[in-house]
Amino acid sequence: MRSQDTRSDTHPTRLRARPRLRHRAAAVAVALLGAAGLSACGSSGGGKVTLNFYSFPDNSGAVQQAVDSCGTSRYTIQYNKLPNAADGQRQQLVRRLAAQDSALDILGLDVTWEAEFAEAGWILPWTGANEQQATAGTLKAPLETARWKGKLYAVPYNSNTQLLWYRSDLVPTPPKTWDEMINDAIKLAKQGKPHLIEIQGAQYEGVVVWFNTLVASAGGSILNASASGPSLGKPAVKALTVMKKLASSAAADPSLSVQMEDQNRLAMEDGRAAFQLNYPFVYPSMKADKPKLFKVFKYTQYPRVDANTPSHVTIGGIDLAISKYSSHPDLAFKAALCLRNRKNQLIAATKGGLPPTIESLYSDPALAKSYPFHAEILAALKNASVRPKTPAYQNVSIVISHAVSPPGAINPSSTESTIASQIKDALASKGLIP
Amino acid sequence: MTVDLDKDAAAGATSTAPAKAKRAPVSEGARAERRLGWLLCAPAVIVMIAVTAYPIAYAVYLSLERYDLRFPKQAKFVGLSNYGAVLSSPYWWHALYVTMIITVVSVVVELILGMLLALLMHRTLFGRGTVRTAILVPYGIVTVVAAFSWQYAWTPNTGYLVGHFSSGAPLVHEYQAIAIIILAEIWKTTPFMALLLMAGLALVPEDLQKAAKMDGATGWQRFVRITLPLMKPAILVALLFRTLDAFRIFDNIFILTAGGNDTYSVSILGYDNLFTALNLGIGSAISILIFICVAIIASIFIKGFGASAPGAEG
Amino acid sequence: MATTAKQKASWGIGNTVAILLAVIPVLWIVSLSFKDPSTITDGKFIPRKWTLENYRGIFKTSEFTRALINSIGIALISTLIAVVLASMAAYAVARLRFPGKSVLIGMSLLIAMFPAISLVTPLFNIERALHLFDTWPALIIPYVAFGLPLGIYTLSAFFREIPWELEKAAKMDGATPFQAFTKVIAPLAAPGMFTTAILVFIFAWNDFLFAISLTSTTSARTVPAAIGFFTGSSQFTAPTGSICAAAVIITIPIILFVLFFQRRIVAGLTSGAVKG
Repeated sequence: MRSQDTRSDTHPTRLRARPRLRHRAAAVAVALLGAAGLSACGSSGGGKVTLNFYSFPDNSGAVQQAVDSCGTSRYTIQYNKLPNAADGQRQQLVRRLAAQDSALDILGLDVTWEAEFAEAGWILPWTGANEQQATAGTLKAPLETARWKGKLYAVPYNSNTQLLWYRSDLVPTPPKTWDEMINDAIKLAKQGKPHLIEIQGAQYEGVVVWFNTLVASAGGSILNASASGPSLGKPAVKALTVMKKLASSAAADPSLSVQMEDQNRLAMEDGRAAFQLNYPFVYPSMKADKPKLFKVFKYTQYPRVDANTPSHVTIGGIDLAISKYSSHPDLAFKAALCLRNRKNQLIAATKGGLPPTIESLYSDPALAKSYPFHAEILAALKNASVRPKTPAYQNVSIVISHAVSPPGAINPSSTESTIASQIKDALASKGLIP
Repeated sequence: MTVDLDKDAAAGATSTAPAKAKRAPVSEGARAERRLGWLLCAPAVIVMIAVTAYPIAYAVYLSLERYDLRFPKQAKFVGLSNYGAVLSSPYWWHALYVTMIITVVSVVVELILGMLLALLMHRTLFGRGTVRTAILVPYGIVTVVAAFSWQYAWTPNTGYLVGHFSSGAPLVHEYQAIAIIILAEIWKTTPFMALLLMAGLALVPEDLQKAAKMDGATGWQRFVRITLPLMKPAILVALLFRTLDAFRIFDNIFILTAGGNDTYSVSILGYDNLFTALNLGIGSAISILIFICVAIIASIFIKGFGASAPGAEG
Repeated sequence: MATTAKQKASWGIGNTVAILLAVIPVLWIVSLSFKDPSTITDGKFIPRKWTLENYRGIFKTSEFTRALINSIGIALISTLIAVVLASMAAYAVARLRFPGKSVLIGMSLLIAMFPAISLVTPLFNIERALHLFDTWPALIIPYVAFGLPLGIYTLSAFFREIPWELEKAAKMDGATPFQAFTKVIAPLAAPGMFTTAILVFIFAWNDFLFAISLTSTTSARTVPAAIGFFTGSSQFTAPTGSICAAAVIITIPIILFVLFFQRRIVAGLTSGAVKG
C-alpha cells in the first residue's frame, strides 16, 4: 500500500517539474532562432543594391578606399574580408559557391584558381563591352591567368613578381644567370663573407613558383598546351639541376627546406645573405628595419637559366571575378571594373605596395616615387610566365611541391619522371593526394 | 481491482531496486521509470540527432560517389570503389602509421603524466588553486596559437628550443617533426586527462584510504588496490575520449608542418582530399574509414573495461 | 597527521615542476606579444625592445573586440545548455532502466567519433537553408551537439558512483524526487558537472573548424577564426605579434573561468553528504 502511495506521489510531481524546465529552454531556443532569422533575412530596403565583394584582408586601406569610391546611385559595394591565407580564402569561396550562395557578387581570386572555378561553373565569363574594358591597357601575363578555354573569366586587379635583390657591397656587378650567382656565392663563402642565396624552399606553393619559373626560363613548361598532360622534359631536368646545385652548394641557407618569403626577408635583413629572390615587399621593410644595410640593398632582374634567354618569372596576384549566383551580375561587372580601374590600382600600388596590372601606370611619375624598381617589374611582367592552368591545379601543385622540396633530395632525372607520372594521375583527379 | 492492486503492489515493491522482472507485464512503476528515462534523455537526443543525422548520412552517401567538385558533371555512383582507391593508396597507410605512432605515444605518456598531475592537484599540501589553474592553462589556450608558438620555438634562428635540442630544422625531418608534434599534443591535452582523473580521484572516499592506512598499507599499495579500481570509470572516460581525439589529431600537425615531409595524419589526409583537392568522394571515404578505425578502438576499450562502461550495470 | 618539512618540500617541488612545464610556453607567447616587430625573430626569451603596439593594433578596429564578445557569449551559452541536457540524460542513463539506453550511449559515442571535417559542409548547407548561417545559434547548436557525448559519459560515470541509498533515504525523509535530486544528488554530482562545464567551455572556446566554416562576418565570428584574419605588414609577413597579443587576451577569461570553477569542485565534495 505504502509503495503505491509513493508511486502516485512521485509520478505527477516528477512530470510537473520537468516540463517547466523544458518549456523555458524551448522558449529560449525559439527566441534565439527568431532573432537570428529576423536579422539574417530582409536587410535590403529601398532601391539601392548592395554588392558583396569578398577579397583578401587588406590593412593598408587601399581596398576600402576603392570600395567607398566605386559606389554609385544604383549600388554600394560592401567589402567583406576573407582569411589571410590563400588556402583559407579558397575554402570559404568554394564552400559558398558550391552551395550556390547568392550573397557573393565580386570575388577576389588568386591567379591560380580561375580554371578551377570556371570549370566548376562558379564564375561568369566576361564578354562584349565588359571584356573590352577589362583587356584595354592591361598587361598580357595577368590577363593570361584569367583566361580559360578561350574565354575571359576575370579581370586582373594586381600582380606580383620576384626580383633579384643583392648587396652591392659584396657583389659590385650583379650576376646574370643562376650559375653565375651560385659561383659568386661560393666565392664569397671562401672569403668568409655573407654569401647565402635566399630562395623559398619549403614544401608549399612558393617552391612550385620557383620550379615553374626555372622551367619556363629554360624554355619549357610543366603542362602541355592543352593542359591534358605533362610537358616537362629537358627544360624540367635543367630546372631541377639548378635547384639541386643550389641546395648542395655553400650558397644554400641551412634552413632552405623550411623557408618561405618572410624567412628569406629576415635572413637578408639579418645580414647573413648576399642574394635574395623575393617580392618587392622586402624593399620598404629593409628601409624601415635596417637603414644602414638599406644603403647597399640593390635590385635587378631575376637571373636567367640560359644565358641567351631572358628569365620568365612566374607571377602571382589577384583577379576579380563575378559569381554565377550573384543576383545583379550586370551591376557587379561594372563595379569590378571600377574597383580595378587606373585610379584605384595606383592607390593600391602606393598605399598597399601591390604592383598594378595596367601598363600605362608604370610610366606614371606618381608610381615611380614609391616604386623605384618599376622598370624592372614591368620588364619582368612583360616576359612573365604563369603557373599551369588546369582545374586540377591544386593537385598538380601538391605533386610538385612534394617532389622538389626539400631541394637537397632532388635527383634531376628521376624526380622529373616522378613528377610526370604523378601529374598524369593528378590531372585525371585519380587517387589520393598526400 | 483488488487483484490488480496486489499485482501492482508486488511489482512496485521490487521496481525501486535495480532488478526488474523482464517477462512479467510491465508494472506502472516500471513504465513511469521508462517514461521518465525517455523524457530526460529526449532533449539531448533531439539535439544530437537534429545536428548530425543528415550530415552523417550525406557523408556516407558521398563516399559511394565519384564526385569531384571541380568536375561536377562527371559525378556518378561508384559503390565501394572509393574505398578501394583509399585502401590501396600508400598515402593512406603511411598516414595510418603516423597516426598510430602519435596516438599510442601521446596517450600513454598523457595517462601517466595526467595521473601524476591529478594526484598533485588533488593532494598537494599548499598552493592548490595556483597549481590547478596553472596546469589547466595549456588546455585553455587556443590550439592554433599554441601550435604556432611551438612552431616558432623550433624554427632555426628564431626559436628558443631549437638551439638546445637539435641542429638544423627539426620540423623538416619526419621523425623529429613527429616527436615535436607529440610533444605539442602532450603539453596541450594532458590537462584534459588530469582533470578527468582528478574528478575521478575526488570520488574515492577518504575513509577507505584512512582505514587502509591504519591497516598498514603503503601509499603505493593504497594507490593500486583502492584508488585505481575505484577510478576505473573515470579512467575509461579519460582514456576513451583522449584516444578518440588523439587518433583524429589535426590542428597541431596542420600548423607545425601542414603534413609536409611525410608527417601527415589520417585527418590531414582527409582534409587535403576533401578541401584542397575538392574530391568529395575520396575525402568522404577517408572520413568513414577514420570513423571505422575509431569505432574499433572504442569497442576495444569498452570491452576491455567491461562493467565500468557507462550504462552497464555494475 | 603532521606534515613534515620533507613532505612539504616534495609537494613544493612537484608543484613547481608542474607549473613551470605548463607555463613556460605560455610565457613565450606573452614575451612574443610584447616584442617590437623588428626583434620578433631574435629568439630571446625576454624582449629586447618592449612595445604595446601589438595590443594597440588588435583593438584599433572593433573586429577583435566583437570576436571576443562572440566567443564569450557562444561558449557560455553552449556550456550552459550542454551541461543541463547532459545532466538530465546522464542521470537517466545511470539511474533508470529503460529500453534504448544502449542505443543512446552508442549514438552519442558515434557522434563523438565521427570526423568533423565531413560534417562541416552538410551542416553549412543546412544552416544556410534555415537562415542560421553566420549567427550565434549557428555555432551554439553544433557545439552543444558535439559537447553532449563527452558530457553524458563524464556525468554518468559520476552519477553511478553516488550511492543509491542516499536518494532512497532522502525520499524516506519525505523529499520529492526533484528535491532529492537538487538537495542530495546534485551537490554530490557538482564535481562532475563543473568538470563537464570546463571541458565543454574549452571545446567551444577553442574550436576552429566550425567557427571558420559557419560564420562569415564579425556578427558571429569567434576568436580562433578571427585570428585567421589578422594580417601582417605584408601578405607574406606572419602577424606574429598580433596573434600572440590576441592569444594573451583570450587566455585571461580562461584563467578566470578555471580559477573560479576549480574551487567549486572541492566545495561540492566537502558539502558533507559523502561523509555523513
